Amino acid sequence: MKKSYAYSSSWSGYWFILPALLTMLVLIAYPLLYGVYISGFNTNLLNKWDFVGLKYYIQILSDTEFLNKIWITLKYAALVVAGNFVVGMSLALLLNREIKFRLLFRAILILPWLFPDVVVALLWKWLYNPLYGLFNYLLQSMHLIKTPIEWLDSQHFALFGVAIASVWKGYPLVMIMLLAGLQSISKDLYEAAEIDGCNKWQLFRHITIPGLMPVTLVVLILETVWWFKHFTIVWLLTAGGPINVTSVVSIDIYRTAFQSFQFGRASAMAVIVFVICLLMSYVYRRLLETNDQ
Amino acid sequence: MTNKKRVALGNGLVYLILLAMTVAVLIPVLWMLSTSLKNDTELFTIPPRWIPEDITFASYQRIWEDYPFLNYFMNSIMVVSLSTLIALVFSCLAGYGVSRFRFRGKGMFLTFLLVTQMFPSIMLLIPFYKIIQVMGLTNTHLALILTYISFTIPLCSWMMLGYFQGIPKELDEAAAIDGCGRLRTFIQIVFPLSLPGVSATAIYSFITGWNEYMYALVLTQSEKMKTVPVGIGQLIGQYKIMWNDMMAASLVATIPLSILFVFFQKYLISGLTAGAVKS
Amino acid sequence: MATRTKWLNATLMLFLALALVVTGCGGNSSSDNSKSGSSSGGSSGGSSNSQSGGSGSSGSSDEQITLRIVSPTVVENPEGEVETKYAEEYMKLHPNVKIEFIGVPMNEVYAKIITMATGRDMPDIFINSPEFYARAYEMGLTEDLNTLLGEEFVNGFHPATLREAVIDGQLQYAPFFTIPTGLLYRKDWFEEEGLSVPETWDEFVAAAQKLTKDTDGDGNVDRWGFAMVGSKNGSGGSRFIPIMRTFGAAELVKNENGEWVTQFDTPEAAQAFQLYGDLVNKYEVVPPGPFQTSYAEAVSLMASEKTAMMVTGPHTIGAVLKQNPSLEGKLAGAPLPHAPGKDTVSVLGMLGFSIYNGSKHKEVAADYLKFILSKENQLEWNKVTGRFPSRLDALEDPQIQSPTLSGFMQAMDFAFQVPDVPFYADVQVAAAEGYQSVIGKQAGAEEAAKRAAEAVNQLLESLK
Repeated sequence: MKKSYAYSSSWSGYWFILPALLTMLVLIAYPLLYGVYISGFNTNLLNKWDFVGLKYYIQILSDTEFLNKIWITLKYAALVVAGNFVVGMSLALLLNREIKFRLLFRAILILPWLFPDVVVALLWKWLYNPLYGLFNYLLQSMHLIKTPIEWLDSQHFALFGVAIASVWKGYPLVMIMLLAGLQSISKDLYEAAEIDGCNKWQLFRHITIPGLMPVTLVVLILETVWWFKHFTIVWLLTAGGPINVTSVVSIDIYRTAFQSFQFGRASAMAVIVFVICLLMSYVYRRLLETNDQ
Repeated sequence: MTNKKRVALGNGLVYLILLAMTVAVLIPVLWMLSTSLKNDTELFTIPPRWIPEDITFASYQRIWEDYPFLNYFMNSIMVVSLSTLIALVFSCLAGYGVSRFRFRGKGMFLTFLLVTQMFPSIMLLIPFYKIIQVMGLTNTHLALILTYISFTIPLCSWMMLGYFQGIPKELDEAAAIDGCGRLRTFIQIVFPLSLPGVSATAIYSFITGWNEYMYALVLTQSEKMKTVPVGIGQLIGQYKIMWNDMMAASLVATIPLSILFVFFQKYLISGLTAGAVKS
Repeated sequence: MATRTKWLNATLMLFLALALVVTGCGGNSSSDNSKSGSSSGGSSGGSSNSQSGGSGSSGSSDEQITLRIVSPTVVENPEGEVETKYAEEYMKLHPNVKIEFIGVPMNEVYAKIITMATGRDMPDIFINSPEFYARAYEMGLTEDLNTLLGEEFVNGFHPATLREAVIDGQLQYAPFFTIPTGLLYRKDWFEEEGLSVPETWDEFVAAAQKLTKDTDGDGNVDRWGFAMVGSKNGSGGSRFIPIMRTFGAAELVKNENGEWVTQFDTPEAAQAFQLYGDLVNKYEVVPPGPFQTSYAEAVSLMASEKTAMMVTGPHTIGAVLKQNPSLEGKLAGAPLPHAPGKDTVSVLGMLGFSIYNGSKHKEVAADYLKFILSKENQLEWNKVTGRFPSRLDALEDPQIQSPTLSGFMQAMDFAFQVPDVPFYADVQVAAAEGYQSVIGKQAGAEEAAKRAAEAVNQLLESLK
């Protein structure tokens, strides 16, 4: 077997990753380290730097309210990521086929992604409104309900309501990534399997899913992390209410940093979130990693 | 023929699902459109009204005349295009490097990319601003370009890595044997086969940068430099939201994105990698 | 080998070039900022650009000065137009001065100021308020305005405004406007029903009940007495807290030892929570969806004539009229009702301007502040935006003493000073959680009050 002559020199590899690596080191690594650093101080970032060590971490982690909020955030992230994947996967598969009006469907189905988070959040807040909102209006004019439903006021529904709005905004990204992933699965594999007598479901299970696994893994990790950290949509829809039902951790971080101006404490919360994200991605990789070397 | 019927039924189901999702997407969007055509007094009627009694395009006029939205658009297009381009180049290089070479720290590099996404970005805002300020780049396009590159490189690199891994190394070697230089190999052979990946990451990069709000707000100061999301955010006052203007601006802002999408999505079609290995 | 090296070199060159460009652009940050931020004015960026350019460069022997101002109101409508107008007028009077606005929406303005402070890139003038002034003082950002503005000028501010603007004897910011919280109500409906302005909460409930009705006879109630802001944020909490104070319980007060303590766990506080719960569940005078009703939604309720009363400040009148001009003359303000035997309470909701103590143009900045605080300009601000002046001469003008606004005027005298603790926003949220639990029937009033007290005590603990 002929050895690839130029490809085993390790130095060339470094040159290739250098631009990306350098950019990320300069622009993100320093802020990351800074963030971890200030979590040990009671600080206003200018002239007050009182060293507090691990005080914030202890206070935060021994607060059952905070732990409850982590749980709620996990629920929220799980709902949204699941929703995004179910919808995104289904649509990616469908839009991969050669159907009529494919371009039109693709263009429309990607629309929610194109709006800024703020606009989506405010729009949905309006849609859910008991008096002015479209949902109640439609249900009432179809005579399905008599009195208006207080969607986001309901302690049972609020988290779902917020998740639905998030999925509406978030599924196109997953859809596009999976669609790209589908293109890389060679058609020959499908043809060969069909010749061997496999049915559609078997094709899906044994060719499509494994073929998509690398893309799926990356997107799954990133999606979980992104929606675990997500702020805007929940903040604008319910601000964490009713009572505590949708209190995701990002709201506390935002408030602590930019309303109470306690940056050290907010940073400690952020580091905790960071560690949780690391753990989650580790779990994913252990569960799902196929050899991607 | 039952098989034909089955296929037809299958197709019918496909269209049904697509149609259902289309409706789910379009209802809120049409509501946005309806709102953008209303004047202030018709915004909050009970019951909600689809078609305003007094259809007015005043919002669309206002966003160009009263607010410098053309300005915001130009800034956004400039900043996001450049950041997408650079991010793509860096990511392709990184992805290609990792997929084709063996070197130590490969895994660490990849993990590092993912890890950078895990810290709540709002806490990175202030040190980030410091960096930009030290480089003397506050209130410049370059600041935002750098920002958006750092946001999108991780996913783009991973996507491109996945794509390049799917393209057999034998192709590279065959080309090398044929006397192609590395650059030519990349441009003429490997790159075209990875167009779906490039497409998806270009779309992702563009949309992510286009809609980013917080950093754009903090890193720009003058009206001359603000981007579209910052412009839209200004319609949300402490005590008042300019709903109709906001909806109008948001709808108009999707036009460049849609054009871009239509252009790129044509690479998201099957068959590009077919037969690659055989030839 | 040759081509590979060539390509790698090319890439390296590209990257080095990029790096050079980046560092080359670096340099004196102040010169960079004045170069790039050459537009002035907020929303009407285009026209005022040329205007200020002209007046700025008109041959003047005086030194060219640029004043940078961080302001949230300049990006709002209609506030922005008025603020820009002030700047333009001032620039005409002082051709050597150029004023540059850095407009940031209110929700993000303090984040922006802090970011600029840590980057040592502060403007000359910046917005300040009771929520932020202690923080700004601690960061060493403010200049003492007593000396810059002069004692005589400072005495021209309404005393209530000064109470929340002074730390250690130093005036932190020049109060620009206030929006004293009171009860906004439909004067015409009250007259129709023969109701007088409620002074106690019992009267309030009775009035609300009378005004809640089914006006079009279709069997569904379509008008409610009270647009309650029940959202879980500062908007809701900052309305509940004054109401709770009218029962005699404060969210935070200083005890004899000068320490902050909470009164959330008193029976009076429980009464306030109970009131909120009853308004929604027992008397049913609140439209459906109180948790989602933040300020903007409540304004719409008033504007679409769905509700008769709202707890808010005078600026809301303008907002309501914009959505429904036919309500002109039908709205009026009154001080908040109170529990029998107690006093009414208000919050000033003030905003003002500070001068950065590292600014090179403090005297000019002070002069500009005096200019926008002139009686004429203050009255115009009130006319356009509905917010109250902070200057006594403007407040005594008949424009403010009108029947519509006089109720708010009265409320001003009962404003309490917002406790200066760093976590005040969390206290507001604790209150919000409390009333949401009672309304959502998750807890009784005493239980909710106790929980709120626990939350506040925990916050106080963390201070130590």
